[in-house]
Parts: sequence; structure tokens; C-alpha cells
Amino acid sequence: MISDVIFFFGIAWIAGLLGVLVVRVARARTTGQRILALDLLTLILVGLLALAAGEDRAPYALDAALGIALLSFVATLAASRYYESRRPFT
Amino acid sequence: MTEVIEDILILAGLVVLTLAVYGVVRMPDVYTQTHAASKAAFLGITLLLASAAMSGDGGIITRALLIVMLLAVTTPVAAHSIARAARRRGERMRTPDAVDETQA
Repeated sequence: MISDVIFFFGIAWIAGLLGVLVVRVARARTTGQRILALDLLTLILVGLLALAAGEDRAPYALDAALGIALLSFVATLAASRYYESRRPFT
Repeated sequence: MTEVIEDILILAGLVVLTLAVYGVVRMPDVYTQTHAASKAAFLGITLLLASAAMSGDGGIITRALLIVMLLAVTTPVAAHSIARAARRRGERMRTPDAVDETQA
């Protein structure tokens, strides 16, 4: 069992990281940096779900995390391919 | 004892994830940012998942292993794809003394 102080501190800290990344996505200098920041944002969302699964002893939170990880990979690949050649897959 | 290890793993994961975000915010160009975003983020999430797997629940352990193996395969591919796209679109390397060994 995770102690409550650590759990709520972790939730608040990860929420702060997500906020920083949202600002980073909005103010990125180039498109590559924007895609990269979005990729990192979804990865940190997986970390948040892992924290929730550890606190609640709930495997279903990790099902959602797995889905988000898969979706993040496909979305990043499609976005960067499109940025590279203006077509998703050549 | 298990609780202490879980807490330490969570704090370590938070530190590593914070380093990943700090690297993405502070690094000068996308080529150096991919280092922070792929390696540090994967390590941080692995630590958080290890903390969740310390509970001993079989469902959580198998799912955590699955996610770690999936991320180990997909994170480098995504980072490489972003860096290659940025290079092909001509994004400049802003790191001091950067050496570009590719041919356009």
C-alpha cells in the first residue's frame, strides 16, 4: 500500500508536469518539437495511470494505460510521417 | 517493508519524469530533446509500473510487464521517426558545435 501523502503528492506533481507540457505544446518553436512534446505528454499520462493502479490495486487502470500507450505510438508515427512527406505513409 | 519500497520507487519515478520534462523544456533543438523524451520518460514510467507491480497482484504484474515491453519497442521508434522527419524538413541544429553528418 502506498502511503497517502506520497500518492497525493505524486498525483499533484504529475498534474503539474502535464500542465508544463501543455504550455510547451502550445508554444513549441517548430512542428517537430510540438509532436515530441505531445508524445511525452501521453507517456506521462501512462505514468499517472500506473500510479492510480498501484494505489487502488486495480488492474483495469493498466488496461487504459496500455491503450493510451498504443494510441500514442500510432499517433506519433502518423504525425511525424505526415510532417516528413505530407503523406502519412509513402 | 514493501510499502517503503513502493514509496521509494514512486519518488524515483517522479524525479526521472521531471528530468524528462525539464530536458524537453530546456534543450535547444528537437534532436537533443528526443534524448530526454524517449529514454528518461521510459525509465520513469518503468519505475512507476514497478511500484504498482510490488502489490503482488497477478493481473497488475502481467499488465505492467506488457506495457514495459511495448514501450521498450515503441519509444525509440517514435523518437527516431520524429528526428528523421525534422531532419528531412530542414530543422536547424541549435546545439553549440553540432556536427551534421547526414547528406541533406
